[in-house]
Amino acid sequence: MAETATPAAAPGTIQEPEEKSKSGQDSGYLVICWNDPVNFMDYVTHVFQTVFGWPRQKAEFHMLQVHEQGKSVLTRESMEKAEHYVHQLQKYTLHATMERDA
Amino acid sequence: MKLIRATKGNLLFHLAERERTLLVELLSLYPRVPAAHQRLSNSAKIPGGEESQRLLDDALAQQRTESRNKLRAFMTDPRRFERNEAGHRLSISPAEVEWLLQVLNDIRVGSWILLGSPAQRLEIDSLNEQNSADVWAMEIAGSFQMQLLEALEGRT
Repeated sequence: MAETATPAAAPGTIQEPEEKSKSGQDSGYLVICWNDPVNFMDYVTHVFQTVFGWPRQKAEFHMLQVHEQGKSVLTRESMEKAEHYVHQLQKYTLHATMERDA
Repeated sequence: MKLIRATKGNLLFHLAERERTLLVELLSLYPRVPAAHQRLSNSAKIPGGEESQRLLDDALAQQRTESRNKLRAFMTDPRRFERNEAGHRLSISPAEVEWLLQVLNDIRVGSWILLGSPAQRLEIDSLNEQNSADVWAMEIAGSFQMQLLEALEGRT
């Protein structure tokens, strides 16, 4: 990920509860964002805030996970909702996929 | 590009003549990410994966078409860039900024793909006739993106 700013939060400074699907059934799909060297850190943070409605601190936490660990599991959802989120993230040209939770 | 005024429904920027020319030239490159570049999943474990991938490709293609049409209207609207003595004033809504961020990032990422998706930033001595236009597009798109993000966050 291209570096553009010093984030306010570092990975590990906040505990992220495992995301639970709001839709109940069939919540076995992970929405994952993968690292790349082209998207700016500020941009990725902004997209996470916009797509998921997250506060900045949570968005930065996941952005840093992507940057430092190569990927971040953003949410766990039903297939339909996971597809929706992947589409939203890809509209912003982020490298995002959905994977079946093992 | 400099933010002059931000209200709830509008952002007003000043652009020098050269900046406006750069922006128009840059936006004319959209779309740059190849069709069907994005994958829905890295694994084959998604039920109906091929059909879902096709639906994703269709949705992204439709989005590109809509964005291209919107961009054409945006660039040809005479009220969009208001000329004054110092250059131009560009008036856009926060929703349009969000859309422009998507367009600019398509140009940035698409240019990066055309450069062969390099892992490291290209050094100045590796520029040549073949790659300099793509490097230019990637860097200028990034510069406009950062200015729009700063304006959205009130950091200017």
